[in-house]
Formats: sequence, structure tokens, C-alpha cells
Amino acid sequence: MYKLIKDKITQETNVVQRLSDNSFIPMDEANTDYQEYLKWVAEGNTPLPAEEQA
Amino acid sequence: MAYGTVNADVIGTSVAGSNLGAGNASMLKNRIINGAMVIDQRNAGASVTQTTTTLYPVDRWAIAGSVTSKFTAQQNAGSVTPPIGFVNYLGITSSSAYTVGAAEYFQVRQTIEGFNVADLGWGTANAKTITLSFQVYSSLTGTFGGSIGNNAGNRSYPFSYSIPVANTWTTVSVTITGDTTGTWLTTNGGGLWVYWGLGVGSTYSGTAGSWAGADYRSATGAVSVVGTNGATFYITGVQLEVGSSATGYEYRQYGQEFALCQRYYQSNRIVWSGQTTGAGQAFYAYSPFKVTMRSAPTGTITNESLAAMNAGSLTNSAVDSIRYDVTASGSNVNNYAFATINVSAEL
Repeated sequence: MYKLIKDKITQETNVVQRLSDNSFIPMDEANTDYQEYLKWVAEGNTPLPAEEQA
Repeated sequence: MAYGTVNADVIGTSVAGSNLGAGNASMLKNRIINGAMVIDQRNAGASVTQTTTTLYPVDRWAIAGSVTSKFTAQQNAGSVTPPIGFVNYLGITSSSAYTVGAAEYFQVRQTIEGFNVADLGWGTANAKTITLSFQVYSSLTGTFGGSIGNNAGNRSYPFSYSIPVANTWTTVSVTITGDTTGTWLTTNGGGLWVYWGLGVGSTYSGTAGSWAGADYRSATGAVSVVGTNGATFYITGVQLEVGSSATGYEYRQYGQEFALCQRYYQSNRIVWSGQTTGAGQAFYAYSPFKVTMRSAPTGTITNESLAAMNAGSLTNSAVDSIRYDVTASGSNVNNYAFATINVSAEL
């Protein structure tokens, strides 16, 4: 399972958190963890939404 | 007039007629990183149990399988004497007697970054021949298998090799004619995927010694290590070089090999300390990397120590740094957050 994370400064969603190991995955297509996330989404899965940042 | 004798040292390469500096020099000839299994940043020599997710029992060496917990992997597992010239090896131990299904695989691999094999010219008419060599030791004997494949998983070359005597180090050399077709990445993506099969089903096995338009990970008929409970498979001294014959293993200085590994994984300490005036106040600290990474890395936080701060998160990952974000849980004159930031840009 994954969760989207918003940048606290820009409020842009630019990180995916992998909840199984609490890792923070950048939205960079050269990153193999992000490639795995995109496959997971392509299989019809949906990540948890980002929380609003203070 | 008498003339003296001239003695000249010759720097040999494995490629006839090659020139130093032309990509075939005897320096930095080995495209495999951590081929002597010396560096283990993640586990410090501890055992790793295989899962369906890729894990790294030593730096740059990946293990995976279709079904979880069928083998363990560890630097110097079993504590046998390494082959002459080596101190470390990667040891695989089978955890059960598992019958591998047709569409299943269990494997060790190293993926070589495209930038580091760009000179091979694979996928062109000028594709160069390479030689893969390694030292291997197993409680089993027979014909084992492996493969070299491309990033798309639509070109591969299964190879086989023999381990004739159990529990004895055997030197293996496999020469592979370069692939003149297919797409082989020359970027920061996966250039060459080098596999050693530990039990591979028919879907992922092909005829040894020829190129195929398929994602083969091993050779048909190869020994299944995971098929025997307690079976061992140890490997070290892995070298992949240009040319049609194996040359001596290229020993690199420890710091050099460590820095090569850090392009794919590294750990760095970070600290933020200061004063806050109330809960929810946000603070940021950049963690610069010691070595430029292959891509923007995935980050994890360990050993986090907090004083009036909430657990941190990581954003703005780039090849040279990552940002550690923390928020205050209350006002305090001595707020701080210490942590280790582990970053991975593996292939």
C-alpha cells in the first residue's frame, strides 16, 4: 500500500510513501521503486490521499 | 659498439590489437561492482531471508524469488574458506526442498548501469564480445545456469556452467558474443541484467549458448538449488569484461569500490536543532550525498531521535541530496531531531 505525500512548502504532491517499510519514493521515472508503484497503479490500485499540510 | 638490453613491461588486455584508453584497458575492466562481495552497507554481514521483493544481501547484489522464504543469503554464510585471493563471498542457503513451478524463478542478479556498458555497442553491428567469470562453490554438483538480459526483458542469453565437485571452489568462465539486435540501454537505466539461477521454471529458462527474444533467467535443465533443503551456493570474484577470454580478477581499492557502491546506496547522518514557538511549526534540513546517485533515490529514516518534534519525512529527493522535513510537537528551548537517512537508487 502507498500514500501520497505533499511537499510542506510548495503543497505539490511529489513523494509516494511505501507504507510496508515507511520509505519515501520520489516521482522520478528512473527510480525503480517508483516504477514498481506505477505498475501497482496500472493494476487498478489507488494510493491513500495526501494529508493537508499545515 | 655494444648495445644494452632493453626490458619493457607489457600491459596485456584480453582483446587483441586493443589500445589503452580505448575502453579495453586493464584498468577498470570489470563492469561488475562489488564482485568480491566485500561491501555490505545494509546488513553488516547479517543474514537476509528472500522474499518476492528484491533485497540486497551485499551491495549491488540482488536476490528475489516468486515465492517467499525459499532461501537465505548472507556475506560469508557457512564460514567456508574463500578461494585464494578473496576474503568474502555471497552465500545462498536453501530453506526447504521446493519444487519450482513453470512460471516461477529464484535468482541472484546484478544489474549493470547502462552508462557502464555503453561502449559494448550491443544492439548494433559492432557489438563486442564479453566474458563473465566467477568462482562458485556448492553442496550440489551438475550443470547450473544463468543469463544475461536487457532492461526490457525481451532479449536474453542463457548460459550454463558445471560444478563437478561438491564443496570445492570452481572457476567458471563464460564468453558471450555481443547481441547485434534488441535495445540495450546506455543511460542510467539497466544496461545488462546478469542472473544466476537458483531454481528457474520452464517459462524463464531457455537453450544455453544462444540469444533469444525472451526474458530467460537461466538455462533449461539447470540444477535447482532451492530444490534441496540446506543446499548451498556460494559465489565471489565475479568479473564481466570485454573480450573473449577471462583475465585475472580486477582488485580495486576498498575506498574506490565503496564509492562505486554509494552511487546506488548510502547512509548519512542529519541533525536539525533549534527553538520552536509552538506545535506544527515546520523545519527543513538538506542531507547532501557523499557520491552522486544514479537517480533521485528512495529514502528511509532510521535511528531517529526527537526532542519536542514529530517523526520526520523525506521530500525533494535528487541525485545530490534529499530534504528532511520535521514539525514541532510543542515549544521548547532545545528542540532537536537526529536521524540516519538511508537512500537507495538501485537497479
